[in-house]
Amino acid sequence: MIELSGVCKAYKVGDEPLTVLHGIDLRIEEGEFVSIMGPSGSGKSTLMHIIGCLDTPSAGEYRLCGTSVGGLSARDLAVLRNRTIGFVFQNFHLLPRITAVRNVELPLLYAGVSRAQRRSRALELLARVGMEDRAQHLPTALSGGQKQRVAIARALANDPALILADEPTGALDQRTGLEIIELLRELHSAGRTIVVITHDPTVAAAADRTIYIVDGHIQREEVRRG
Amino acid sequence: MNAWEMVSMALISLRTNKLRSFLTMLGILIGVASIIAIVAIGNGGKAAVLGAIASGSAENTIQIVPRELVAPGLPQPGQVLAIDESDLAIAASFSGVQQVNYTLYGTAVVGSSNRSDNASIEAGPANLNELTRLRITRGHMFNQADVIGHRDVAVLSQSLANKLFGSGNPIGGLVTVSGVPLQVIGVAVSQEASLFSLFMGSDALYMPATTCQDLFPNWSISEMDVQAAPGTNVQNLAQRIVTALNIHAGDATAFADSSGLASSVGALLSKVTTILTLVIGAIAGIALLVGGVGVMNIMLVSVTERTQEIGIRISLGATRTAILFQFLVESATITAIGGLAGVVIGSLIGLGIRMATGIPASVPWPVAVLSFLFSAVIGVVCGLYPANKAARLNPIEALRYE
Repeated sequence: MIELSGVCKAYKVGDEPLTVLHGIDLRIEEGEFVSIMGPSGSGKSTLMHIIGCLDTPSAGEYRLCGTSVGGLSARDLAVLRNRTIGFVFQNFHLLPRITAVRNVELPLLYAGVSRAQRRSRALELLARVGMEDRAQHLPTALSGGQKQRVAIARALANDPALILADEPTGALDQRTGLEIIELLRELHSAGRTIVVITHDPTVAAAADRTIYIVDGHIQREEVRRG
Repeated sequence: MNAWEMVSMALISLRTNKLRSFLTMLGILIGVASIIAIVAIGNGGKAAVLGAIASGSAENTIQIVPRELVAPGLPQPGQVLAIDESDLAIAASFSGVQQVNYTLYGTAVVGSSNRSDNASIEAGPANLNELTRLRITRGHMFNQADVIGHRDVAVLSQSLANKLFGSGNPIGGLVTVSGVPLQVIGVAVSQEASLFSLFMGSDALYMPATTCQDLFPNWSISEMDVQAAPGTNVQNLAQRIVTALNIHAGDATAFADSSGLASSVGALLSKVTTILTLVIGAIAGIALLVGGVGVMNIMLVSVTERTQEIGIRISLGATRTAILFQFLVESATITAIGGLAGVVIGSLIGLGIRMATGIPASVPWPVAVLSFLFSAVIGVVCGLYPANKAARLNPIEALRYE
C-alpha cells in the first residue's frame, strides 16, 4: 500500500541546505497498524507529510496504492488526500466556527457529495465514534477527547484506505489518550490501514509494528504482531 | 459543490464576523447609494427644468418677444421694447397663420373685500391657459367673447384665491385691480413644474388682454402669440415672421422666437444637468473605489487570519480552485449585499427628495441593475488577489500557522 524507496527530503534554510530525510526505504502493507517513532527533529513529521501527500520527496520514489505520487498534479494530489487519506492531527484541527457535523461533512463537500447524503453520512460517522449527541456543538464546546473523536469521524468521511495520525494523543490526558488509541485499534480490526506518528512509547506499543527514525534514517524496526 | 452551496458557505463565514462584514459592506453601500441618489436627483432635476421650460409653449403656437425680454439688460438706443399693432398685422398677413394674439405681463395690487395683495398679472387671449399651462380647477377660463367684449372678468391662481377669499368660494366674487372691480370666473393651478414655482411664487391673476389694456393703457404688449394652422411647418413659419418683423423694425435682432429659444435653453440646461450628474457621479464612484480597496484589505486580513483553516481544508482534499473560489465568493457576496442595500437606500433617498421638494427624482432600472452588478464585479476584482494568495499557501506551513 505504501512504498517508499530512497526517499530524501532537503530544505534550504537560509543559504544552508538542510537534509531532513536520507534515503528512506519503507513498505507498509494494506491492513497494517504501524507506528513511526522518533525524537523531535528526527524527520518523522516530514515523513508523515510525504506519506500524506502534503509534501513531495526531493529524491526517491513514493508509491501510494500502486501510483507514483511524484508524477501527480496538484489537483490529483488533492483528490488523493480527499479519497485515500484521512488525517488525524495532534491539535485536532477542527474548524472552530462550524459545528461538529459540518466539520465531518467537509471532506464529503470536497468530494462532491450532495447535501442530504453528506448530512446522513456525517451523522452516521459521529455515531460510529460515539459523538452523535454532540453533532450540533461547536468545537469550542467539546473536550479534547471529544474533539479528537470528531476529527477521527472526519478522517473516515470518504472511507479512506489509510488513516494517518500525527501525535493523536499529544494534546490529551493519559486516560483520554488511551480511549483514542482504543478507537484507532477498533478501526484497524475493521480492516483499515493505520499509520501513527508519535514520540510516546505507549502509543507506539499499540501498533503491530514500530519504525524508529533518528536523524532522518530508519534506525530499526520492531514487530509485535502480524 | 454548486454555486448556491458556495454562497451559503460564504454567508456562514461572513456571519461569524458580523461587525467586520458589515463595516466592509458599508463602504460599498455608501458608494452605491450615493451614485443611485445622485442619478435620481440629476434625472429629477433635468425633468423639472425641462418641464418648466416646456410649460411655456403650446402646440402650434409661435411665441414672439422683443429681444429685450429674452435677455434682460440695458436696452440699446433705438431698440424695440414692445410689440405694436403694425407688428401684429405683419404676422397676421402670413399664410398659415390662423390668429394673432398677444400677451401682457405686469404686477398690480389685487384686492378683495377682505384684503389686498401684490400679484403678477397675465393678460392674454382665450387660450392663455394653454399657453401658460394652467389647469382650471373651479369655474371656467375666459372665452373669446370675453376678450372681444373687454369684459371685466378674471381667473385667479389657487394661492391668490386662498389669500383673498380664504376658505370661501371665490367664483362670482369681486376683486379690484387698479380700482376696477373684476368678477372672478375661475380658479386655476399652474402645471409648471414645481421647481419653477418654488422660486417664482404663484400669486397670479389672469384676464383678457383687452381688459388689461383698458386698465393699464401704458403697459406694452410683451409677447405675440401666433396661432398656426394645423399641419403648418411651425419652425419655418416662425423664422419667416421673425425675419419680416425685424425688417420692419430695421433691426436684424429686434425680435426672437421665444418658443425656439425655450427649446434651445432646454437642450443646454439638459446638457448641463447631465454633465453635473456625471461629475458628481464620478466623485461618488471614487467612494465606491475606496469601498473596493476596503474589501481587498479586509479579505487580505481574513486570509492571513484563516491561514490554518486553509491548511486544514487543503489537507481534507480542497483543491486550489476550491480555496480560490471560496474567498472570491465571500468577497463578491459582501459587495453584492452591500450593492443591493446601496441601491435600496439610494432609491429611498431619491424618494425622500421627491416627497420633500417635489423634484421628480427617479432611478432608471438599468442604472439600479448595473450598480448592483458592478458592485459584485468589484467584489470579484478586489477578492482576486487575496483569494489567489490563499490558494497558493503551502499546506504544511498553513497547518502550522498559529
